[in-house]
Amino acid sequence: MKQAHCIYQEDDHRWLAIARDATKPGYIIDTNEYVVVNGDEALLCDPGGIEIFPAVFSALSAECDPTRLAGIFSSHQDPDIISSLALWLEFKPDLKCYTSWLWQSFLPHFGGQDSTFIPIPDPGMTIRLGGLELQAIPAHYLHSSGNFHLYDPKAKILFSGDVGAALLPADHNGLYVEDFSRHIRHAEAFHKRWMGSDRAKRDWCERVSRMEIDMLVPQHGAIYQGADVQRFINWFAALEVGVLRG
Amino acid sequence: MNAPDRNLHVKAPGVSELARIVRVNEEIKAIVSTAFRINLMALNAIFLAKRAGNAALGFGVLSNELRRFAQELTRHMATLRDMTSGSVGSVTGVVQQQRTSAILAAAIRLSGDGVPGVREARRRGATRLAEQQACLRSLDLRLRSAVEETQQLVELGGVLARSAKIEAAYGGTFSPALMQVSTDFAEVIAQIKRSLEILGKERLVKD
Repeated sequence: MKQAHCIYQEDDHRWLAIARDATKPGYIIDTNEYVVVNGDEALLCDPGGIEIFPAVFSALSAECDPTRLAGIFSSHQDPDIISSLALWLEFKPDLKCYTSWLWQSFLPHFGGQDSTFIPIPDPGMTIRLGGLELQAIPAHYLHSSGNFHLYDPKAKILFSGDVGAALLPADHNGLYVEDFSRHIRHAEAFHKRWMGSDRAKRDWCERVSRMEIDMLVPQHGAIYQGADVQRFINWFAALEVGVLRG
Repeated sequence: MNAPDRNLHVKAPGVSELARIVRVNEEIKAIVSTAFRINLMALNAIFLAKRAGNAALGFGVLSNELRRFAQELTRHMATLRDMTSGSVGSVTGVVQQQRTSAILAAAIRLSGDGVPGVREARRRGATRLAEQQACLRSLDLRLRSAVEETQQLVELGGVLARSAKIEAAYGGTFSPALMQVSTDFAEVIAQIKRSLEILGKERLVKD
């Protein structure tokens, strides 16, 4: 059963992780969805595919009022990220979807109209949620050619999309990474194959190394926290990417 | 219920409507191709009547009428085809709305009716679906009326084919050839009648 877990709270500023669905069928990749709540507004990060919409909607509704959703942040264009868009818009037609300008004319194939999309320029932008200023951080070519991560400087949380993703066995249900060395084995093949550009990877590692990050929350697998965040960045910086096998 | 696979198999009633449109289109295509054959047959019949001279004057007039009939039939079928291609858009809208509403309903079942905003979302979805279904029903009515008009035209074609058969009997030495042509006309028109009967029974929406 997908459930929303509060991973950060300070007053009415919260991060919810809707993570790890043990009941989902094996042929659908497991995804994590995150909700940033600030006062009366909420932003849903990578809402997921059509097939898991009921589970995500239900988990979100259990923890926060879904009518408060002001927007959706779509790190990139993949179906496991955003194919449920039409369903969220069915629930709340005035939702705004923040995504790379590159996907502005592609995502309407999943749903929405011109006024739904707020294109993020390549260098990134600030996304305001109530009084909170979230930052869309460029992560192009990691893996999508128009790719953004979302940084909350107040909570010191970086939503990192597919970077940091691990394809964990069904019995690894922990929300957080517990043993980095064991965990990262499940991330290695994914990063080698899906992350196609070494230069983009180095740019990203340099960029995020300068940021204060307490938690790195990926779209698949467990959450990195504390010293594991820098461990992951160092591991990724050293990893050979764009490799078909090995 | 949390397992997504149950949502994967949400029944999409609109699929059968799409299948109906495909069947309607196939019948229309069959009639269009037959109408083209009548046109060619009528041209041949006109030449044959000219060769037969005075003995086939009446047959020649009827062949001209049959040619005009084939051209009129082609125009009718083009209108029908435009209507069915328009209906694909309406049916697709209904299918999408039904699927969306079914998945949203599954989400609401999981979350409970007390979640804010779900009633409004349901109402909006139901209104949109009703509008799209009304649009499809109106298209269906227009299609049925157009098929009835075409059936009347084809009745006229049948009368022309029967008259051509009578005129063929007065064709002198050309009589067997003219008789063959008029029999072919009658068979082809009977075939169109059968196709139109099938078309008349098809509905884009269930009654």
